[in-house]
Amino acid sequence: MKLYVLIPFLPLAAFIINILLGKEVLRNKAHWPSCLAIIGSFIISVITLFDVINGRVINEDLYTWIISGKFQVSIGFLVDQLTAVMLIVVTCVGSLIHIYSIGYMHGDKGYYRFFAYMSLFVFFMLMLVMANNFLLLYVGWEGVGLCSYFLIGFWYEKRAAADAGKKAFIVNRFGDFGFALGIFMIFLTFGTIHYAPVFSEVKNFVGHTVNFLGFEVDLITLIALLLFCGAVGKSAQIPLHVWLPDAMEGPTPVSALIHAATMVTAGVFMVARCNAIFSLSPDAMIVVAIVGAITSLLAATIACVQNDIKRIIAYSTLSHLGMMFIACGVGAYAAGVFHLYTHAFFKALLFLAAGSVIHAVVHNDIQRMGGLKKYMPITYAVMFIGALSAGGIPGLAGFFSKDEIIWSAFASHSEVGKFVWIMLTAVAFFTPFYSFRMIFLTFHGKFRGTHHEEHHLHESPNVMTIPLMILAAGAIAAGWAGIPSVLGGGAHFAHFLEPVVGHPEFHGTHAQEFGVMGLSTTIALIGLVIAFVFYIRKTDIPVMLARKFKFFYVVLFNKYFVDELYNLIIIKPTFWIARKFLVGFTDAKIIEGIVNGVPKAIGVFSNKLRRVHTGIVHHYGIFMAAGAFFIILYVLLWR
Amino acid sequence: MNFQVPELGPIVPELILTTLALIILIADLFIKRKEIVALMSIASIIIVTFALISSSGTTFGGMFISDGYSTFFKIVFFINVILCVLISMKYIIIEKINYGEYYSLILFSTIGMMLMASAADLIVLYLGLELMALSTYILAGFIKHETRSNEAALKYMLLGAFSSAFLLYGISMVYGLTGTTDIKTIAAIISERGLEGNSAILLSIMLLTVAFGFKIAAAPFHMWAPDVYEGAPTAITAFMSVGPKAAGFAVLGRVFMVAFASIKIDWATILIIMSILTMGVGNIVALSQTNIKRMLAYSSIAHAGYALLGIIAANNEGLASMMNYMMIYAFMNIGAFAVIIMLRSEGFRGEDINDYTGLAKHHPWAAALMLIFMFSLTGIPPTAGFIGKLYIFLAAINAGYTWLVVIAVIFSAISAFFYLRIVMFMYMREPKDEVVLTTSAGTGFVLGITTIAVLFIGVFPSYLLGFARAALAGF
Amino acid sequence: MILELFFAYFAFAIIVLSIVVITRRNPVHSVLWMLLLFFHIASVYLFLNAEFMAAVQLIVYAGGIMVLFLFVVLLVHIKEEIKISKFIGAWSAGFTFAAALFVVVALSLRSFVVAPPGKYTIELIQQETHTKALGKLLYTEFLFPFEIAALILTVAIVGALVLAKRRLKS
Repeated sequence: MKLYVLIPFLPLAAFIINILLGKEVLRNKAHWPSCLAIIGSFIISVITLFDVINGRVINEDLYTWIISGKFQVSIGFLVDQLTAVMLIVVTCVGSLIHIYSIGYMHGDKGYYRFFAYMSLFVFFMLMLVMANNFLLLYVGWEGVGLCSYFLIGFWYEKRAAADAGKKAFIVNRFGDFGFALGIFMIFLTFGTIHYAPVFSEVKNFVGHTVNFLGFEVDLITLIALLLFCGAVGKSAQIPLHVWLPDAMEGPTPVSALIHAATMVTAGVFMVARCNAIFSLSPDAMIVVAIVGAITSLLAATIACVQNDIKRIIAYSTLSHLGMMFIACGVGAYAAGVFHLYTHAFFKALLFLAAGSVIHAVVHNDIQRMGGLKKYMPITYAVMFIGALSAGGIPGLAGFFSKDEIIWSAFASHSEVGKFVWIMLTAVAFFTPFYSFRMIFLTFHGKFRGTHHEEHHLHESPNVMTIPLMILAAGAIAAGWAGIPSVLGGGAHFAHFLEPVVGHPEFHGTHAQEFGVMGLSTTIALIGLVIAFVFYIRKTDIPVMLARKFKFFYVVLFNKYFVDELYNLIIIKPTFWIARKFLVGFTDAKIIEGIVNGVPKAIGVFSNKLRRVHTGIVHHYGIFMAAGAFFIILYVLLWR
Repeated sequence: MNFQVPELGPIVPELILTTLALIILIADLFIKRKEIVALMSIASIIIVTFALISSSGTTFGGMFISDGYSTFFKIVFFINVILCVLISMKYIIIEKINYGEYYSLILFSTIGMMLMASAADLIVLYLGLELMALSTYILAGFIKHETRSNEAALKYMLLGAFSSAFLLYGISMVYGLTGTTDIKTIAAIISERGLEGNSAILLSIMLLTVAFGFKIAAAPFHMWAPDVYEGAPTAITAFMSVGPKAAGFAVLGRVFMVAFASIKIDWATILIIMSILTMGVGNIVALSQTNIKRMLAYSSIAHAGYALLGIIAANNEGLASMMNYMMIYAFMNIGAFAVIIMLRSEGFRGEDINDYTGLAKHHPWAAALMLIFMFSLTGIPPTAGFIGKLYIFLAAINAGYTWLVVIAVIFSAISAFFYLRIVMFMYMREPKDEVVLTTSAGTGFVLGITTIAVLFIGVFPSYLLGFARAALAGF
Repeated sequence: MILELFFAYFAFAIIVLSIVVITRRNPVHSVLWMLLLFFHIASVYLFLNAEFMAAVQLIVYAGGIMVLFLFVVLLVHIKEEIKISKFIGAWSAGFTFAAALFVVVALSLRSFVVAPPGKYTIELIQQETHTKALGKLLYTEFLFPFEIAALILTVAIVGALVLAKRRLKS
């Protein structure tokens, strides 16, 4: 019995137990199977990690699901260095979030349903990272999307939640369509969908072109970009980023697990996994880097003016995901995965701490908070650590990974390297700014809510704060695994991943590296200080700025009007055309004719055909004779 | 006289089952509780299963053959019997037809199917077919006090006799052309005498096609199916929609693939036309049905159309996928019928699809199971129905019939309308008045088995397909 | 030549008589015409050197089954059914397709080639007698189909009893 096989199947078992027994038998004990399962998965993941460190990489087909001629689909797992890291991220952060949820979801009437979906999500996520072929990856990919849809719309009685779930689902369809096409192209090109042969043969296809929609396109670029479409959808990059902020309607542990630590990083994971394909297409790499850079900067600026505590963190997530894509785009996959790994800790921490705050004040608006420091000291402390780590303050986890990305962008051979480096430096300013804006508005100053609300304020129970403290430790220390060599570390993380993602070739001296690091650190500290000045010392400055630069403020506050833009250029016209045709041409029966007509025609035909079955035996006999006549006639003539 | 007792080894299962069926027929006189008779028939099937495993070879001068192919089909028949007997036990009490002959007729019918699957000679094939058919005619008319049932039996018998005439005409013509009725020898003589292009042999093949097409309910020889399926007792409808159909496919495969292998192109063309017609008629007419039994009758016609693709592929891969399909169809179809039977209660027929309105509210389990079977019949993963269709389609594509598969997929998409309509009725509408479910241990057991099978095969399909492939080794 | 003429007469008569049987409105007439039909079929068997078959045809069908039919017809109140004006709706369509089927079958049969005769030649049958040859074959080579036929008859009896027997109404 291979132990690692249990990693995904323990959560699946928990899901089955919960869905079968949760409602009647387990009720408010429904967290037991789910929590035990994911903690079990975590323990096995750690064992597996040590196996991998000792050089035991697993790549095997466990079960061949479908085999027919050339076409083969198998359930097979690939556990290499990259997978091992992802396993630790998913199961470790996942376990803490599961435990936290016991407190957070306590008393909810969908308690068992929540844990069932969470377990199912973890199962699909683990399948996604452990797959050794594209089809299984796709199954996991769609599975996590489905669970995300369920969990965003978890409080489906709430209109906004149901709408957000739908939005996430629909927006992701755009990306997944490209992703599915990409996998199909891979199958057509290589005749297999297993990673190993695809990645080893891809270099033989350099320079091949293929006709796509009438254009001659480079085959590898096409495949890479189609795959990246999926990543853009799943990891909420521009222009498909609109679903993620809305997804905050779901319960906060869901936001922490799915929309910060794991699912949204699947896109980054997939790009890193397919580095063999991406690296061979400079054009695709540039697209990846640019999309990441634009998302990163735009999201960071939006985050500076939002008032919903969870949305601020959501935009921050977008921004960090953009940074990970930048790393991939400049060829520093290891840096991207490193940031994925540290980000999981500090972002889950921020979300859960925000959840703890929401638990106390029962709304999300930071303008109606303030002064929570004295009511919720633990939450304050851990969130402060999280913000420091996210802001890239030296010594903490976020610093090391972010610094590596910034340095990679600067030092890489990529044509757009310098450009994205400038954008990243700008992001380095905004990140601590919005993080601490949030902290200061939430925890410092006077409480700005109602008296009744103030009465309600309290620190969260231990079952919530203990996972927070563990995550805070992670947010501090997780980055120490990858301290760069200039700072006297061993860059162990990058070396560990080298067999999978290779080693990027940089040009640059140690002095330059120090310079880049110093610059971004200084800028980050400036951001922090400005936040301090704006929101603690001179609280009238932001109001004044907002009034003076009203245009910028409105643009940012409305998230660059992207939602409005989509509404205007996609949704409105669609509805307009639909309404125009439906109302205007009902008599002409254009849309009606197509939309209703085809099934209707089949229905009418069906009715006609049904009449043939008169129920009279003679007619049936005649039919048989006629049938016999026609087939004999056919054969007679055909020969 | 030189009379020798033929070797009985290969035919032991049939002998045992015949003996036991006769014993059950007599024992029925002394047993008041007919449930015991039912359990006896299940027990006898289990005994025969053990005998089946060890039997192989040919006997009676090559008239009877027991090989992997026949064994696979016999297992389908056994599953069919066991499941149908279990769902019958309570049902026939409600229908007031709780007589022991019911079970012995089911067994006799099964013996007929077994003979068909094992027939290596056209005469044995014909007699097996008649044995199966005659028993089913009687079973279809078992509810004597209901006109619907009488009508079904009479129609089935008249049209069945009509199709038998075609079969006999075809067999006699083959005999006239080749001087033999042995399936293997026919193939040899056809090539020996150069009969491949002979229009008389083609005529005889077409006549056989008519008869087999009747048994598997393929258009345009399907007309009996909706009326008979609707009128027959529901448990027998389940029995008929699986057993005789599988038996029909068994003989179709053996006769066409062995005796007429050299004239593949000609019969494949006809089967393609039949298959398109069958899928078309089955799926399209099913849309406008309001009686669920009738709807499933059309669905069963449509499924015959899909399974025909496996024969059309005309290679072992195609046959294996067809066999695979038959096994899967047995589970999912009987499962659906088990739910229908649960809705039948004293004074309530529960056959109209309106009776399923809002079923999920009061009976979430029944609705969930029906959902699984409807998904499976539609062919939605991860159910077995998806696997069955996938393999059939892949086999057809590998044999070069991509365009035919495209048509089949389109019809399969149309079928989603009427299968999922049931699901929509159950889940998305408010119930009108509460439906009382008739539950029994037997039905519960059947539902459990079929659900597990449908999901298991859907997730782990290679065991069943591997079994089908292994059964074809040396075919 | 004379033999062929006789055969042609019987074959033609069988077809005509069959049509007559199924078109009579009075069932008693139908049954009586059928009796005549069975005699003609028996005669065809005689032409084929199958005297046993001819005898069986007369004894079983004409003698036994025929009488049963008559009994049934007389026992069932048949008068009402005679009034049904048209037995077959769309008989013209039926006739058309029957004729068309006949044509294509006849066309296909043009290339019919008779298989070489088996071991039972006419001489051998005449020498060994038909009854003996048939009996030998039935109990050796065709024992298996023979036994299946027995089973079919059993099922037929069971079925007839099941459907005909009056049961307690409860």
